[in-house]
Amino acid sequence: MTAAAPLFSDPYRPAFADFVANRREPDAIARLRREAFDRFEALGWPTRQQEAWRLTDLSALQTLALQPPADALVDAGTLPTLDGPTHRLVFVNGRFAPGLSHVRELPDRALIASLGQALMTHPERIEPHLDRLPGLEQHPFAALNTAFWEDGAVVHLPRGTVIEEPIHLVFYAAAGDMRLHPRLLVVLEDAAQATVVVEYRGAGRALNAPLAELDLGAGALLHYHQIQEEAPQAFHLGAIRVRQDRASEANLHLISVGGQLARTDLAVLLDGEGASCSLNGLTLARDQQYGDYHVRVEHAQPRGTSEQRFKSVLDGKARSVFDGMIYVCPGAQKTDARQTSRNLLLSRQAQAHSNPRLEILADDVKCGHGSTTGFLDPDAEFYLRARGIPAAQARALLVHAFANDNLNQIRLTPLRERLARLLADRLALDITEG
Amino acid sequence: MLEIRNLHVTVEGREILNGIDLTIHPGETHAIMGPNGSGKSTLANVIAGREGYVVTEGEIRFDGKNLLEMDPETRACEGLFLAFQYPVEIPGVANLYFLKAAVNATRKYRGESSVDAMDFWDLVHERMELVKMDESMLKRSVNEGFSGGEKKRNEVFQMAVLQPRFAVLDETDSGLDIDALKVVADGVNALRNSERGFLVITHYQRLLDYIVPDHVHVLFNGRIVRSGGKELALELEEQGYALYNEEPGRARRAAA
Repeated sequence: MTAAAPLFSDPYRPAFADFVANRREPDAIARLRREAFDRFEALGWPTRQQEAWRLTDLSALQTLALQPPADALVDAGTLPTLDGPTHRLVFVNGRFAPGLSHVRELPDRALIASLGQALMTHPERIEPHLDRLPGLEQHPFAALNTAFWEDGAVVHLPRGTVIEEPIHLVFYAAAGDMRLHPRLLVVLEDAAQATVVVEYRGAGRALNAPLAELDLGAGALLHYHQIQEEAPQAFHLGAIRVRQDRASEANLHLISVGGQLARTDLAVLLDGEGASCSLNGLTLARDQQYGDYHVRVEHAQPRGTSEQRFKSVLDGKARSVFDGMIYVCPGAQKTDARQTSRNLLLSRQAQAHSNPRLEILADDVKCGHGSTTGFLDPDAEFYLRARGIPAAQARALLVHAFANDNLNQIRLTPLRERLARLLADRLALDITEG
Repeated sequence: MLEIRNLHVTVEGREILNGIDLTIHPGETHAIMGPNGSGKSTLANVIAGREGYVVTEGEIRFDGKNLLEMDPETRACEGLFLAFQYPVEIPGVANLYFLKAAVNATRKYRGESSVDAMDFWDLVHERMELVKMDESMLKRSVNEGFSGGEKKRNEVFQMAVLQPRFAVLDETDSGLDIDALKVVADGVNALRNSERGFLVITHYQRLLDYIVPDHVHVLFNGRIVRSGGKELALELEEQGYALYNEEPGRARRAAA
């Protein structure tokens, strides 16, 4: 017998039995969990023999004896904030921390809450939407999330509701070897609008495996930001499902700077005519960090537009992967789909893998992709140095310019400015100089 | 202020300059003319410190200091400026930010504090007028999407802001129409004074109608084969470089 997938589900089986025995929740949810756990066991722990996991080395993660989450206290000062009025939900080790959270007055029937609490108080708002979106059926950690999620956030806006203030969702992992499966559910009914900022932070060697489901009704508008800034030892294996109805617009910004291994799988279904999505990804990695985006955008209806713009900046022995699929269904005519992957290598040992894929089953479409990987332009560096700018500062300026191009797509000013500072700090660059 | 002695330079193992001697005093403007491939741009790049140029023999001194031991940024901070033949586009770095970073780098090198924001703004505006540059160019990324003329004007603008003590203009006239050429030349002439030296490198005599040099040198096959006053440029314009091309022996005798 060959060494097949290790039976990693073994420690999960008793854990799952314990977990569900202590949950009090609607039968429909318990059934979802059992089905998902069965799916996880059937899929097994991913191996590098599987194409989708070929470059993702989980061996360091597999040696850890990960524990279920425990309660912990966190110093509020270590949590990220956004300037200006926000709705804020904080989760420590995946559990809602009401003392650190506040939700401002909301329009009628708008819901921004802990998912666990909302499931008790408004099950009719949750059950019809939870785990209903297609995509990532083969993703073991998405299944594991549905089996094990304890809490998370729900944003449910009724038809036409516009929430101006950013909805700031902070997930903090305290020290310890834990596995966390936070869940996010965003449902925007027709013409509703929201701006969501999800921040993953932590101090421990946790496995953070969140699953976000973003469901956009006709004409809905969502600005969604995910900033992964976890501890250097952390593992992040996230999944995002998006479904968009007619003429809706989703703008996703995915920023990854933390963790030793960070991968996000993203499946977008443009399920209504004229839906558009913009996916904007940036990975900053150094030392031995590994950053990975697996993206699939499916155009199921005509006149959809999608744009994938992914960049990485890699130093040391860091590696990045971008695997991006544009899938155009038969009948999805007048689709306009673009994809670019640009990678900047700051060291000879850094590696970027880019795997653009197109499957186009309609004949009247515009699809394009481009991928570049390279070092800093020596001519540009010399030009700056020839004006007196020291070499290190010249290189930092060029890296900042490369990455900031993606950050400039973020319309939420306090967040954009904070990320620009984060970027400059990592490059030891004084951006206030100009 | 600039002394070049017996300079030999190879690029990828090929000798491009083989024994250049040139002395430029404060307040002087020298022109170097020569056909394509004579080594003009190599000389400019070696002075500025670009990588890939190997000095196998000889030296360059700038105010008595060994220039070849300095990295490019130190040369710039010491007061040396190269106006690039091909200015580089730098997407994402705004012109104004870039200029301020450059000014402050030089000030830091001299032990001075960062430039006052208002003083800097005044200086920039004054110098912009010198080269008839539009204010919108300050906010644009360095040279990105600039026309050939705008790029060259931006070089002279940078020079006007940085106020170097010695400037090398590498084919600043190439790709310019006559109006742009006049603007660029006016900008350069406005900076000429008794302290500042210039080395103007050009293929054509045309630029020297507007930036009138004190000395003209002919560079051919990596050597200065002839030196003279400004009238030498006119002579070259009439006779071309064929003289040197066909009879290198005669050219060397002429230089001796």
